Amino acid sequence: MGTTWIIIALVVLFVLFAIMTYNKLIRLNVSVDEAFAQIEVQLKRRSDLIPNLVETVKGYAAHEKTTLENVVAARAKATTASGVADVAAADGAVTQALRGLLAVVENYPDLKASSNFLALQEELGTTENKVSFARQFYNDNVRSLNQAVKTFPSNLFAGLAKVGAREFYVVDDPADRQAPTVKF
Amino acid sequence: MAPSFRGLQLANRRKTIGLLAGMGFLVLVVVYAAMTYFGKTGVGVLPIAVGIAVASVWGSYYSSDKLVMTMTGARIIEESDNPKLFNLIQEVCLASGLKMPKVAVVEDSAPNAFATGRNEEHAVIAFTTGILGVMNRDELQGVVAHEMAHIANRDTLVSAIAATTAGAIALLSDFLTRIMWFGGGRNRDDNNNNQNPIALVVSLVVIILAPIAAILLRSAISRRREALADATAVAFTRNPAGLRQALEVLQSDNTVVHQRSTAVAHIWIESPLDSSSVSKLFSTHPPLSERIATLRAMEANPEMGNAG
Repeated sequence: MGTTWIIIALVVLFVLFAIMTYNKLIRLNVSVDEAFAQIEVQLKRRSDLIPNLVETVKGYAAHEKTTLENVVAARAKATTASGVADVAAADGAVTQALRGLLAVVENYPDLKASSNFLALQEELGTTENKVSFARQFYNDNVRSLNQAVKTFPSNLFAGLAKVGAREFYVVDDPADRQAPTVKF
Repeated sequence: MAPSFRGLQLANRRKTIGLLAGMGFLVLVVVYAAMTYFGKTGVGVLPIAVGIAVASVWGSYYSSDKLVMTMTGARIIEESDNPKLFNLIQEVCLASGLKMPKVAVVEDSAPNAFATGRNEEHAVIAFTTGILGVMNRDELQGVVAHEMAHIANRDTLVSAIAATTAGAIALLSDFLTRIMWFGGGRNRDDNNNNQNPIALVVSLVVIILAPIAAILLRSAISRRREALADATAVAFTRNPAGLRQALEVLQSDNTVVHQRSTAVAHIWIESPLDSSSVSKLFSTHPPLSERIATLRAMEANPEMGNAG
């Protein structure tokens, strides 16, 4: 009699635990999707800023053709990208091209002082931050999901929930690949 | 090994739980002392004390956003009033996954900021005009992240729980000392005369000193939540230097927010009370120098500086 109750209690506990773990895995997986959607929203915002920026720079530095074309080409390519790796690669290319453009702007004091550019500057700065925070949030979510998928005991339920480890959003940034700075 | 924000968050969360458990234990000790001294009457007062404490604290917890706004004179602003500030807050929203809070400004030249509201949906973050004027973008981002960290960590709830427990202990002690003055209660209904005088004296001391212990615990919880908010802020921005510089600005500034209402002292990023007027043990915030040192140590962590 006593043992039956113990067995029933154990089964009930196990089922409760399984449901909680299953829900947790689904929740983590959905958060990763949402976080990725947020990256795309922010990339779109940045993409919408680019034509205005290019026009503004053209007015003062029309002969910086290659730099301007790089930005336009990178932007065009980014609009067709899909999937984490592709979006990340296209994002990296746009970031790179924009950085090149802003470096060029440094040589044109009139452009830098123009009201159009000043208005764009805060917008560009915050957009770049937003893109970067959206990436970080996505990667934090992937980190939690992958940890749950790979560690015991939640890994036992990953198959049942049809949830697997997800891909990190890695932007290949040459600025990171420079010689390591030594600090003491 | 430089400390990481993850480790610091974990440590501060654990300490909060330990301190809250300490408060729970204190309630038990007071009840036990009351039973030793007064017998059943001592226990009879408990539900009244807890009831009053719950009623008074949870009303203000539930409408904390409106209440604090009124007490501090904060005024809600729209995106068009300060687009740069809204950009900063939207950035931290993306980094934290939190919803956009309401934003408010307090007309005060002293640099300070606070967050309140019972949950994410009712959250308000407020800045004094002083802090908006004196800080650069990175510093202000650190401050925004610290306030958003309070929302993420549900600190309005945590401080309401601490306030309720401390309040219940204070009321209990107050009731019991009053009963004592009027000479009532003691062992009238149960005639177990096993009272040894030492137990009685100890119970009396416990009942009288418990409110002070409760205030100390409550302040310690508040200090842990501030340290936790600093660590969580770094988790959001991955930029300890921004918040560290912001705290240095606060440290070098001598002006203090005008309202010295102690009731809302704990919600500001920097304590609005003079450090000299409050002993360190009763302080709601860890010393700025300590918070700055912790952030500086985090800057050495290789995890920092690459938000990408």
